[in-house]
Amino acid sequence: MNTRIRRLAVGLLVCYLALFVQLNLLQVQREEELTSDPRNDRQTIRDFNRPRGDIITADGVVLARSVRIDEPDAELKYRREYPTGSLFGNITGYFTFSYGSTQLEREYSDVLAGTTREQQVKALGDLFTGQDVSGSVVLTMRADVQQAARDALVDPRTGLEREGSVVVIDPSTGAVIAMYSSPTYDPNQVVTGSNQDVNDVFDFLNNYPGKPLLANTYQERYMPGSAFKVITTGIALENGTISLDSRWPNETEWTPPQTTDPIQNYDGSSCGGSLVEVFFRSCNIPFAQMAVDLGPEAMVAGTKAWGIGERLPIDLPGPVASSFGEVDDFTEALPLLAIGGFGQGNDVMVPLHMAMVAATVANGGRMMAPHVVDVTRYQDDTVLDRTDPEVWKTPISPTTAATLNTLMVGVVNNGTGRQMQLANGIQAAAKTGTAQLNAAGEPERSHAWIIGFAPAEQPRYAIAVMLKGTNDEISAGTGGRLAGPIAKQVLDFVFATEANTVAGGAQP
Amino acid sequence: MSTPSPLASARRSTELGLVVMAGAITAAAYTVASLGKNAEIPPIILPFLGATLGLLVVASVATRLFARGADATLLPLAALLHGIGYVMITRLDDRLAGLQTTWTFIAIAAYVGVLVVVQRTTDLAHRTWWWFGIGAALLLLPLVPGVGRTFGGARIWVSIGPINFQPGEFAKIALALFFAGYLAERRELIATNTWRVGFLRLPEPRYLLPILLAWGFSVVVMVGLKDLGASLLFFALFVVMLWVATERTSFLVIGLLLFAGAAYIAWRMFGNVQTRVAIWLDPWPQYEGRGYQIIQAMFALSNGGIEGTGLGLGSPNKIPEVKNDFIFAAIGEELGLVGATAVLIAFMLIIGAGLRIAIRAERPFEKILATGLTTIIGLQAFIIVGGVIRVVPLTGITLPFVSYGGSSLLANYVLLALLMRISDSTARRLGEVPDDLTLGERFEARFARRRARRGAKLAARASR
Repeated sequence: MNTRIRRLAVGLLVCYLALFVQLNLLQVQREEELTSDPRNDRQTIRDFNRPRGDIITADGVVLARSVRIDEPDAELKYRREYPTGSLFGNITGYFTFSYGSTQLEREYSDVLAGTTREQQVKALGDLFTGQDVSGSVVLTMRADVQQAARDALVDPRTGLEREGSVVVIDPSTGAVIAMYSSPTYDPNQVVTGSNQDVNDVFDFLNNYPGKPLLANTYQERYMPGSAFKVITTGIALENGTISLDSRWPNETEWTPPQTTDPIQNYDGSSCGGSLVEVFFRSCNIPFAQMAVDLGPEAMVAGTKAWGIGERLPIDLPGPVASSFGEVDDFTEALPLLAIGGFGQGNDVMVPLHMAMVAATVANGGRMMAPHVVDVTRYQDDTVLDRTDPEVWKTPISPTTAATLNTLMVGVVNNGTGRQMQLANGIQAAAKTGTAQLNAAGEPERSHAWIIGFAPAEQPRYAIAVMLKGTNDEISAGTGGRLAGPIAKQVLDFVFATEANTVAGGAQP
Repeated sequence: MSTPSPLASARRSTELGLVVMAGAITAAAYTVASLGKNAEIPPIILPFLGATLGLLVVASVATRLFARGADATLLPLAALLHGIGYVMITRLDDRLAGLQTTWTFIAIAAYVGVLVVVQRTTDLAHRTWWWFGIGAALLLLPLVPGVGRTFGGARIWVSIGPINFQPGEFAKIALALFFAGYLAERRELIATNTWRVGFLRLPEPRYLLPILLAWGFSVVVMVGLKDLGASLLFFALFVVMLWVATERTSFLVIGLLLFAGAAYIAWRMFGNVQTRVAIWLDPWPQYEGRGYQIIQAMFALSNGGIEGTGLGLGSPNKIPEVKNDFIFAAIGEELGLVGATAVLIAFMLIIGAGLRIAIRAERPFEKILATGLTTIIGLQAFIIVGGVIRVVPLTGITLPFVSYGGSSLLANYVLLALLMRISDSTARRLGEVPDDLTLGERFEARFARRRARRGAKLAARASR
């Protein structure tokens, strides 16, 4: 009988081996797949049952925090709160039980929950004390500047906030100081209330015309109009097809190759002169000619050097890519290339990218990767990780950057950007844009743009402002008249508060 | 009283040490679970925990008194599984702490009782058909109108007054006893008398009866009680015992064929069986329906990962019936692969210890019984764990020592006591511990002496 009993032991052993194999499959090999199944909300329950760290601005304002729910039988122990309401809605995103999470709440979820490897290792010592191990995220953004950006979007006559984007970045590091998208939303509305309420809020937000859930600063793109001329001029200077000495005759019309349809200047005016003049007057014909002279290959290669066609390398989820077009799009369509040279036609740019374009000129030709997170910190406020500034692209040489700087100063002093002359004699540099959408069968619409930086000699801030052409009034205006004052208001605020900081600090 | 034996005291000291360690693990796990769930230790439950741990020590002391030569690992393994189960059950529903403590008390009392009453394994071997009668009666009790109750689709409960229990849990032990007795007597007859059909050597029809009986029983259980897990277990138990006892592989083959036949008929006859097989193969299309439980178990296990969420920090209550059949998924979620593996290894060690007892035993009855009892625990754990993690189709059955439920706990401690008794008996026969008289025998001896004295006095008086 002993032989049979031994065989029985082996048989049972084999049965148990099958259990071990399956257990490993479920708990190790398929862990990812099963944990991420949308019907499996255990991970979320766990996340909602432990504290989650704060998201804080550079000036110490708490944007997101966990609040303990003091009901004895609550299924979840914590909920998320966003004290600044909608001001940073598109930056923090939301962290909901049933609808997932977005933006920083999603991108930095591990840090906030305290589940990164570093945090776990550090917490090992406190394993049995059940201590809070959540981390916090400190931004490069300033809440006061963000508020100034939002205030500047308010139409002074109607008192209503206009749809558009305001982006302020530090040209030397790529640090985002303000990035406000209008319309936006208040994440508090989707983290509290019943499932039905939250569902209704999402329905409302999804159907709202301006798409408030999308950050138009970095998740949408718009025709740039003449603000694109900075790029065209940069490419032409880099290729040596023009110089500061180039001159263009006064013309009202120019017919590019492959068409009989002539190109005109804005409002059909006659326009020409030196490079400085055509730049600050924002003539169209010289830039159309620059693009055609460069030809499709050099022009497309030039736009790619500026990062056009690539998703912006920002530390937020879902950034989009600007677009100019591919060589094949233009070889048989030189008129399209010509109008692309002054920011019309197929050109679409992300507002953040346009701020980066201005910043590149300000930073001697180096385009820094934009980022909103400065440092992440452990529970005890020691540094977990710091964002190091990184060069993303170098589209132009320092010489070209210096030339473009001069041209953009001209725009503020003598040209279309006079509205951006700053307080206290600080010299700004800028380029305006009025993007004429002219969609067939629709009323004439245009977006108003301005991009620039200041102080021109030692730039510390680069800015891009875009007002969406949502109504006749905005569409009848120009970038200089509409976007210029917004940029001035924001930059004046930044410099004023900067002076305060130096003088002893009004900042918390 | 009893002759001192260094080996026996060593075994019992080892056992006590291991039981205390299992108790320490339980207490630590209990504290962690309370902290994880409520961030505090509810003071009311401490006495329950203390009582549970105390009872396990009592069991070890009783073993020292009544089965001192027995294996030293079985009781600590049972204590560990029992402790983990206790922690999980109270963590899942702290109202059950008191109830489970009461059941622990009854189960340990039964363990001690069995060791006291059954002092020699021969006491069990004599009443073969009695065991059959008891087993059959217990099994069919739920079918009796008035006392039988149906919970969760299976009519396996009996309610008498306020007490609910599953007689099937005890029936398996009674039937194992019957089978061991029957086979110990007739195994050679069954094995030698064969009936040649072609190249197959089949047992003679009248000796084939037991296996047909087993098969018939399984079918009755399946049809009458709709209890797939139990019928699977009975059937496998009978076939395994028959195969081991007769050393005839043909029984195994016939058993498997009969099983296949029964399974096919069940599959054709019961929609319930078809659903279970379909869910086993692919539960996902039935997420909202019958597949929900097993998918939630898979989610729970994946959520646990390797290290587990930590006790009290997972969401095992999302699985329906988690404290009974699905307790293994809760362990896998909160203690992770590590904890789940530890539980499985504990069962493997019990199997190892049980089969070693069977191999060491010299009497056929003890050998066959030990094999059968070990098979019950090992196979039952495999069937339910395999069902929960989709290795085999799910059949509702408890995880021995771990699941919530009084009948199961009680029956498993009785089973454990019987294994301990066999182990002790072997140790005595092998001369590892002195074969002292048992308590009953000492009483008998005293009576005999008294009678003898009285007889001598009477004789002396008569002779005067």
